Amino acid sequence: MFAWLNNFCSPSQLQKAGVLGMNSRNFDVISKYNKRSLYPLVDNKVKTKEIAAKVGISTPNLIGKIEYQYEVENILDIISEYREFVIKPAQGSGGKGVLVISNYQNKIFTTASGKQIGYKDVYQHISNILSGLYSLGGKYDTAIIEELVHFSDVFKDYSYQGVPDVRIIVYKGYPIMAMTRLPTKASGGRANLHQGAVGVGLDIKTGRALHGVLRNYPITIQPDTGADLMQIEVPMWKEHLKIGALAYDMTGLGYLGADIVLDANKGPMMLELNARPGLAIQIANGIGLKSKIKEVDEFYPENLSAQKRVEFVLNYERAK
Amino acid sequence: MIKKLVSIRGILGFFLFLSVLYASYGIYYKIRYWGFSIAPKQNTNLWSVEAHISFDPTGDPIKVNLTTPRSNDAFKILEENIIAPEYKINRNKSGSILSLTSPAKEETQNLYYKIMLFDNIDTRGKTKAAKPQNPNMPLFDEQKMAASKQILNLAKKQNGDDVSKIIRLLNQEPLQPAVQAYLPIKNSQQQMVEIISELLALKNIPSRPARGLKLEESKKSLTPDLMLEAYIDGVWKIYNIKTGKKGLPDNFVLFQRGGKSLLDVIGGENSVIKFSILKSVVSSMSLAEKRAKLADTENWFDYSIYNLPLSQQNTLKWLSIFPLAILLIVLMRNVVGVQTMGTFTPMLLSMALVKTGFVAGMTCFGLMIALGLATRFLMNRFNLLLVPRISAVVIFVILIMQALTIIGFRMDLRIAQSAVFFPIIITAWIIERASITWEEDGALNAGKEIFFSLMVAIIVYFVVSSEYIRHIMFAFNELNIVILFIVMLLGTYTGYRLLELKRFKPLVLR
Repeated sequence: MFAWLNNFCSPSQLQKAGVLGMNSRNFDVISKYNKRSLYPLVDNKVKTKEIAAKVGISTPNLIGKIEYQYEVENILDIISEYREFVIKPAQGSGGKGVLVISNYQNKIFTTASGKQIGYKDVYQHISNILSGLYSLGGKYDTAIIEELVHFSDVFKDYSYQGVPDVRIIVYKGYPIMAMTRLPTKASGGRANLHQGAVGVGLDIKTGRALHGVLRNYPITIQPDTGADLMQIEVPMWKEHLKIGALAYDMTGLGYLGADIVLDANKGPMMLELNARPGLAIQIANGIGLKSKIKEVDEFYPENLSAQKRVEFVLNYERAK
Repeated sequence: MIKKLVSIRGILGFFLFLSVLYASYGIYYKIRYWGFSIAPKQNTNLWSVEAHISFDPTGDPIKVNLTTPRSNDAFKILEENIIAPEYKINRNKSGSILSLTSPAKEETQNLYYKIMLFDNIDTRGKTKAAKPQNPNMPLFDEQKMAASKQILNLAKKQNGDDVSKIIRLLNQEPLQPAVQAYLPIKNSQQQMVEIISELLALKNIPSRPARGLKLEESKKSLTPDLMLEAYIDGVWKIYNIKTGKKGLPDNFVLFQRGGKSLLDVIGGENSVIKFSILKSVVSSMSLAEKRAKLADTENWFDYSIYNLPLSQQNTLKWLSIFPLAILLIVLMRNVVGVQTMGTFTPMLLSMALVKTGFVAGMTCFGLMIALGLATRFLMNRFNLLLVPRISAVVIFVILIMQALTIIGFRMDLRIAQSAVFFPIIITAWIIERASITWEEDGALNAGKEIFFSLMVAIIVYFVVSSEYIRHIMFAFNELNIVILFIVMLLGTYTGYRLLELKRFKPLVLR
């Protein structure tokens, strides 16, 4: 009768495991280290791109942007020289409203999932973006069109359509936890865990796979391709960490999530930043965030440069 | 960091403590002085007692003395009316005797004295009296004295205190021979009281007769009951002279105490006094104002909700339940960890359910959402812009409501008629939100969102729909301040949510 209780653990067990809960994240971390006035920097992708360029973080090239309804017709002119691109809301979150066009020819748009849509559908999608359908708080938004990232072959076997990325949690400028998010058939090509993407925790010092998780359950193979998740090792790992560390310098947010894509030609690029990153990364890593945060508070020095912070993390972790 | 946290919590906790103190005092005050009750729909009996005095004048100047009840332990006098045309009305110092004087008259006189009484909650059990003089020893001859002593000795075997013992002995069935010999053959209530008083005087206990009415609705004219008061341990205690039971019976109002007669007519003969009693039931709340007036707390009351016109009171009654609903939502979201559509959507849903009734409301709501979603998907094909599209959904929801209400009326279905109670905007918004979630994250997630919101709404509904809780939140509205600080304190709750105990279980170290 009380068997369902076994699905639960006690608060003290979670405390012992150093798990960061939602209330504690909001109260102890976000409200303390993320000033609200800084949010627009990460909530608006156009702004994020601008300041990222200043600190030398590469982001996918901006092809164009559409701010007003009457400009929507210009879409064909904007993309006339491109065969592939991504349309997304500047203030979207959680991959909402992202339209990936992998092939555009003769006014026929082929999406990442292979579906063919026409000009009217694209027009409608952009209209929706402008009217704030996908934006935080339903505000009027801008649609941005940017270059499609050609993600590295490393992820080829692990991802079903869509773009796999690496999420790094950065606390006080130190990258403390990382995972890669792999789109699945169930997630509709999107890289969000709650939509059914696979999350694989990555060792912060090496970029190697630790644990896999799908909808809160442990997993070791990609459900669509059958590839062994434990073989994942993200190349150019130090560069990934550097982007995370720099994201702190460029925004001033004490707690953030940096979403990074590894482009086959251009190396790691920052897709977007998140001022309220989710907590699922803990399950993917099998480690609680609270214990990491405590470590940073107690043992990590302040006022280091981004490069030095990355070195410090690597050395600290290796010394463990 | 931790020190700061403690101080925020400390301050809020302190305020919570203060608000609890304030609320407790407020509740105490309202119950004590305004007669509010914890239970809803509590009624107070309002008695109107009418004394009809009639007599034939003898031709001399008339003076009528009537002993009247004063506000006392058990009852408070709300209104007093004297219908005695052409009479001069006077009262003695203590106010207990009403004197009506008039020059000589000819026809039979009919005077009315009318009072409205209600039970006196606030001063119950507080009358202290000065110690009366020791009673005079009755002047008995030797034989009578011996018989009395024997009676007193016999009385010792009865139950109760000294007074009860004597009364019980004298009323025993069948009477003991000695008692039978002691009592006169035919004794009236009046005589009985006198005999008891004499016996008590032998034991040095002061006593006096008391006269009053049992408040019972009856069409018949009533005569006052006689009781006996004895001074014991510094207070006057009242006894039933038949059963020896101590204390005032329920709903008993004393008109007269001590030796004075109830009615005394000078200049008249054949005087008769008849009582009639009428009961009316008023809600405690509506009596509150009158109570407050009598308790000299009028100013306080003027600034309370309960002095407003009834229609405004009803609106405020509706409002005063919201804080509790909000507290529940905060608990569900931040302590349990249920995700709902919007923060207050479930609350508004539950409010609508209260108005429609549970089954009718749920069925109607389900129907509206289903129809709304169906149209919303049909509308997808038109590729409308967002704002006009949501507006169209709103209009469509209104149309559904109208149709359901008309159909419901025609077919006499209460279920369909309840459509109008659901907030239009909220319903439209739920439809829009659900359809987007449906497209983006699939039907399962959309269904989940609606399900969890409904679940929270239902939980809130069952709390809010309780007549008891609604009454308490309105009558003792200072509880809302307590809720305010609880909600604020919850804002500093950084512990795990209940559902996180399941979600993060895989992280527990083995």
